[in-house]
Amino acid sequence: MNEAYLRQQFHNSSDVILRSFILRDETLLLLVYLDGMTRLQSVEDNILKPLIFSGLPQGIDRIQSLAEMFRREWLPLTNVKTDESLEDLVNHILQGSLGILVDGEASALIAQVQGFETRGIIEPQKESTLRGSKEGFVENIRTNTSLVRRRIIHPDLKMESYTIGKYTQTEVVLVYMQGLADEKVLSEVREKLGKIELNGVIDSAYIEEWLENSSFSIFSQIQNTERPDIVAACLLERKVALLTNGTPFALILPVTFWSGLQSADDYFERFVFVILNRLIRYVMTFISFALPAIYVALSTFHPEMIPSYLMISIATARENSPFPTVIEVFLMMFIFDGLQEAGVHLPNQLGPVMSIIGALVIGQAAVEAGIVSTPIIIVISLTGIASYTIPRYSATLPFRLIRYLFLFIAGWLGFVGFAFGIIFMLIHLVTIESFGTPYLSPIAPFDGKRIKDMIIRYPFWIRDGRNKKGSRPR
Amino acid sequence: MIRGILLSCVFLILILSSTSCADFVEPNQLAFVIGGAIDHAEDGSIEVSYQIVIPSQLSSKGGSSGDSDSFVVMSAKGKDVFEASEKIQIKMSRRLLTSHRVTMAISEEYFNKNDVSKLFDKLSRDPANNLRDIVLLIKGGSAKEFLMLKHPMERLSSIAAGKELQINGLRKFTSRQLIVDYLSEGIRSLVPVLQVKNFKTSRKNTNPIAVLSGIAVLNKKLKVKGLLNEDEGSGAIWMSGKGTFKGVTIPWKNGKGILSFRLTHLQRRINSYSRNDSKRIVLTVKAQAYLLDNTTPLDTTDVDNKIEIQKYVNEQIQKELQLTMDKVQQWGPDVFGIGEHLHRKYPYWWKSQKDDWDEKFKNIEVTVKADILLRSTGATGAPLK
Repeated sequence: MNEAYLRQQFHNSSDVILRSFILRDETLLLLVYLDGMTRLQSVEDNILKPLIFSGLPQGIDRIQSLAEMFRREWLPLTNVKTDESLEDLVNHILQGSLGILVDGEASALIAQVQGFETRGIIEPQKESTLRGSKEGFVENIRTNTSLVRRRIIHPDLKMESYTIGKYTQTEVVLVYMQGLADEKVLSEVREKLGKIELNGVIDSAYIEEWLENSSFSIFSQIQNTERPDIVAACLLERKVALLTNGTPFALILPVTFWSGLQSADDYFERFVFVILNRLIRYVMTFISFALPAIYVALSTFHPEMIPSYLMISIATARENSPFPTVIEVFLMMFIFDGLQEAGVHLPNQLGPVMSIIGALVIGQAAVEAGIVSTPIIIVISLTGIASYTIPRYSATLPFRLIRYLFLFIAGWLGFVGFAFGIIFMLIHLVTIESFGTPYLSPIAPFDGKRIKDMIIRYPFWIRDGRNKKGSRPR
Repeated sequence: MIRGILLSCVFLILILSSTSCADFVEPNQLAFVIGGAIDHAEDGSIEVSYQIVIPSQLSSKGGSSGDSDSFVVMSAKGKDVFEASEKIQIKMSRRLLTSHRVTMAISEEYFNKNDVSKLFDKLSRDPANNLRDIVLLIKGGSAKEFLMLKHPMERLSSIAAGKELQINGLRKFTSRQLIVDYLSEGIRSLVPVLQVKNFKTSRKNTNPIAVLSGIAVLNKKLKVKGLLNEDEGSGAIWMSGKGTFKGVTIPWKNGKGILSFRLTHLQRRINSYSRNDSKRIVLTVKAQAYLLDNTTPLDTTDVDNKIEIQKYVNEQIQKELQLTMDKVQQWGPDVFGIGEHLHRKYPYWWKSQKDDWDEKFKNIEVTVKADILLRSTGATGAPLK
């Protein structure tokens, strides 16, 4: 009867294998498993061989029947449990376990012998650093949890498991340091995880959108990373991480505006050089969203503010331009973003083709034809370069959007418009918060302790308020 | 969130309705005025000329279009600067942008026949003037002619004049400085004087070039009271605290050879001593001297000679500057700011003296002292034999 149910459940599933045996004492045994997701070698060695050839295994006590053996979960495997309901059984089989059913027995034995092909641990491509660990997360959540566990060897590292997704049944693990992580954040995350109604979780981005407080804000309130060392560092900074099965991207929360502008390398290099690097990065970030707007505002609304000789050379270059400056900058920005988007989707073999088209057609031919002027090419390419100094790709996206908004408002109202744009952006930034942490946090509201890791990265021992000579003088 | 978007939309619409979008001007709709000139015209009006850049001429590299000028001079007559500018604007296809003006040339004739202080009202009142432009007095010819000159090195004569002054250490002669001096009671203005002279610059060409030929001393009403030549002028600039560096050549005591110095870190200090109701002023000038040319038989590695030279230089410069000081004092205008110093030090005394200060300045006893430090005597010791 159970077999009939299973056969009906797994109707039209060619990869489900139901194999029945008749043992020496005439008991009927049914093995159910998914082909390709179980490591059958161990099953054959440890279950089938003894049962078929030697009869019931004999331990310290004598075992009378197969039923008793099942009750005691006596199988030479580490991960064994009993399932009472058929739904649970189906679920476990789908996850790659081996189901063993015995005729006349109410429960089924589950042996977790999953084994399937996975990707190896490689260096994360998007977040590569010059120094530091070369390990990156993979798609398998157990590998990922082990990568974190290996970095924090402490019983306070907790990993709570949740299953999300009606069809995908994706395992999501909430990782935190008990005692360090904020309880309020934890309960908020737990509550929100419980409320998620999704058909499927393909990537951690699916949960990210359910967790965010201000969904319509252009600034992301959750950080994602492929690097287990970043996760470990964030856990120690009292943050909380979420690992999702099937994706190498872990989520970290709460975050601030600045965490998008900080790179793992900041902590691996000597702090003196990091100060310079961060300064460059912050200035470049400003350039990446403000330069086109500033250029338009200055050259068309306030030409008296540009130094005389520079203004004359700009005017010389723009003498034959057919479009107004705003339109020209907009066109170039649009083309630049188009090139960037094309570059993401382009097969590797076609890469050189695009760079030739981009450099020749847009860079040279357009200037020579007099359609665009050289200062604008400089402005746009500087903006583009500046946006790549932001270490995380997802942190560049809001600035890319803002760039257009600022351009339009500056083309409309000049510097007044630009100032309004900045004011509105700041108003927005101070209103949003990420899981209780204000988004501009160490600066507004000001926090003297955490600011030590903001513009200037203090050496670790100063940041943590320690003394190099030992905190307890003897 | 939606409320916020709505609010910002309303806000934007309000801003838009309150401003006009006509502020928007493309660079190729602008005429960049690089130099300005003021000339006297008959019937009491003035002639304003603007040197305007032609950007398309500047862009042609290599100078293949050698004949065509990279600028155009437009001029018009009017009752004041604004009216004349409007008349120039009518002739132009682009909007005049005067904020980038580098020089403002005024002819000597205009200085003599008109009240220049009225001219500067427009310049200081209109916020579209950057006040960084250098005010020049053109001696001899008209200021308009000066604008039309073609400089052999620079594309624009007014930029050339600006650079010429800057490179020779005369940085503080902007219209801003002139207005500041004009508005303060205890200091009078100095204006650099340019004169157009012909120079043979190559085998074929003889180019007229405007060169610095002295400094004009202006009185309270911005009338020219006298002209100092280059040497006296640079001394006066030093004593008024506006100089940065200068060169000095002094013949040695017995007429055997000469000594040349470069003086840097030019400074001056005013001390005043009260004696009954009249004041005695000691003006100390300070500088660091670098010996660059020595045709005397002196061995400069010798410490005694060094002391001797330093002492001599101080004496000579003191004498020279005292002459300049006396000359200016005869004319009257206090270009050194001694009145300002007295104003600060004896405010109550100043109140009774500030009216007609130019006349009273003539009777003030001013002593010039030099405090020059010989920094270096150059790379060699005794002159080559």
